Amino acid sequence: MHTGRCELKAASKIIKVDYLSRVEGEGGLVIEIKDGKTARLRVNIFEAPRFFESFLRGRPYSDVMDFTARICGICPVAYQMSSVHAIEKIFGIEVEKPIRELRRLLYCGEWIESHALHIYLLNGPDFFGIESAWADREYLPIAKKGLTFKKLGNEILTILGGRSVHPVSVRVGGFYKTPGKKAIAALLPDLERAYEESLKEIKWAAGLKFNNNSWDTEYVSLTHQDEYPMNHGSVASNKGLNMPMEKFIESVQEYQVEYSTALHSGIKRDSSVSPYIVGPTSRLNLNHDRLPSEIKNVIKESGISLPITNTQMGIVARSVELAYAFYEAIRIINGYDEPDKPFVDFEPGAGKAVWITEAPRGILIHRYELDDAGHVKSCTIIPPTSQNFGHMEADIYRFLQNNADKSKDFIKKESEKIIRSYDPCISCSVHVVKIEK
Amino acid sequence: MKRPRIGVFKFTSCDGCQLTILNMEDEILDILELFDIAYFREATDKPLRGQFDISIVEGSISTDWQKEDIVDIRERSRHLITIGACATSGGLQALRNWASLSSYKKYVYPSPDIITALSTSTPISDHVYVDYELWGCPINKDALSETLISFLTGKRPGIPRYSLCMECKRHGIPCILVSSGEPCLGPITKAGCGALCTSFGRPCYGCFGPKDDANIESLMRYFQNTGLTHKDCISLLDKMNSYAYRKVRIEGSK
Repeated sequence: MHTGRCELKAASKIIKVDYLSRVEGEGGLVIEIKDGKTARLRVNIFEAPRFFESFLRGRPYSDVMDFTARICGICPVAYQMSSVHAIEKIFGIEVEKPIRELRRLLYCGEWIESHALHIYLLNGPDFFGIESAWADREYLPIAKKGLTFKKLGNEILTILGGRSVHPVSVRVGGFYKTPGKKAIAALLPDLERAYEESLKEIKWAAGLKFNNNSWDTEYVSLTHQDEYPMNHGSVASNKGLNMPMEKFIESVQEYQVEYSTALHSGIKRDSSVSPYIVGPTSRLNLNHDRLPSEIKNVIKESGISLPITNTQMGIVARSVELAYAFYEAIRIINGYDEPDKPFVDFEPGAGKAVWITEAPRGILIHRYELDDAGHVKSCTIIPPTSQNFGHMEADIYRFLQNNADKSKDFIKKESEKIIRSYDPCISCSVHVVKIEK
Repeated sequence: MKRPRIGVFKFTSCDGCQLTILNMEDEILDILELFDIAYFREATDKPLRGQFDISIVEGSISTDWQKEDIVDIRERSRHLITIGACATSGGLQALRNWASLSSYKKYVYPSPDIITALSTSTPISDHVYVDYELWGCPINKDALSETLISFLTGKRPGIPRYSLCMECKRHGIPCILVSSGEPCLGPITKAGCGALCTSFGRPCYGCFGPKDDANIESLMRYFQNTGLTHKDCISLLDKMNSYAYRKVRIEGSK
């Protein structure tokens, strides 16, 4: 699969996407077919580097959640969650159940907001052959549905964190302030309506037309014995991987492939390194038995066969998770009692820790080393999109093996769709890949 | 009337401020009736073409090619509005302005030589003329719709230039600086967030940048009297708007 070289019966040509649209951040794609024989391709990232790992050095632990949130405007909560849990691990903090649940609710808000954005505004138009969610009157009701879902996700974030982009409430030990029961219960009627609606949307997504693109590949996500994973669990895959978070970071290796100039992440096994995929499809494949039976039934009725082996069906997995995030938000709100204190007391100190949480786009890995005063000595951040790049290119490469002789325009459009189905967030990923323009 | 053409552009940033446009869930479809969103890569495939009545620019200038691109965008634009801390003040990534780039690169990339970036991250207004600036990390979506509506009605946007303290008082939030002695940047920071942090019981950390004529030195002296070191004080200013706070502080001391 990763020889990077194969026979392609096609004339020499170069296909270029200068600036990918309907993705977060700035990237392009170049495919070069030479002598009718070899193909080289690269997802080209020209988003400028921001050097987060450098300017975090020397900063107090309390700055870390505010700083890392700024890596991504679409998934700031993911950054806050991975960093706050890593730091709490270093300080030996165990938060109480209401705090654990509120953080899960915060994540539900982000999953809803981010998934609705991708399903209805970014990826959805691909299935209707239109350039944007508002390019066609017939698509407008679909877009409106998406906006309604998205707004509710943002409302959860706003009640818990003050605002949806870069919320301000998360701190080491808990929250700066926790919401009263009444304030969050006010969301219930809207959430219940949206949940009912979102169940129907699973059928809609499953009914979209997909290219047949099934393949045997490695899906990686967190997994937890009692719950669909968000903030806790171990790292597992359909290829038998199952290890604690801190072991997983040691198994990830950057490597180079012949057909690409970008560095890729893969899983080390004996002498080989192989790409893997993270995100909603991986989570669903590995954790669907932890979904509530109502959602499981809808999955069955919609004719979705699990595990999903077609990487382009990310939108289906995302729709299932959208419904689940509504379900889970309702469950948490119903069981919520405001804690006596919004955070637990602790003593900062030195140490190292790795923590991984499930960002909307897949596992987000953070590693910190703090000094005695709790200042950052060093850190590593591996966003989901950088883990997916290798797989994304392998996916396009597979497509080319059967389609290299098609028109440049067709190859261009279809490759863009493949990339978009991963919901890439290039703003996040930039700091581990080569920058070119 | 012909709808004004809007272009949305991105430089070095997190995407959060242009996401604010898509976060106007209730207003976005009306906005599309009033304006022609002619370029917005995050949301549509439309290619870059022609002139714009309003260009909305997110992100800071931190590479060579961006220096050229922003000049091109300015030439295409009747009005240019910058949105967010990156575009108005260089953003969090401007912290490298006070460090050496080579040391920064080597902590992030295995092969630092292949990374092309300027040694600084600077606001758009350091490079081209900017008609209007919307501050905030992220910007407030009501401020953005107010700005767009003002464009149509030909009035000045009603965006506050006073300090966060005013907003805090109006919300009836007890002063964190005075009552609990915590280092709050409220007195030197623009209002606009709705006094978010203080309503969560934490001191302001400066998302909206320095207010007009902020007396930064005086607040820093106050912090030092409460026991903070000079380094602690600098570290409070050195966040998303470090470039602007440092600039105002130097100008204020002259």
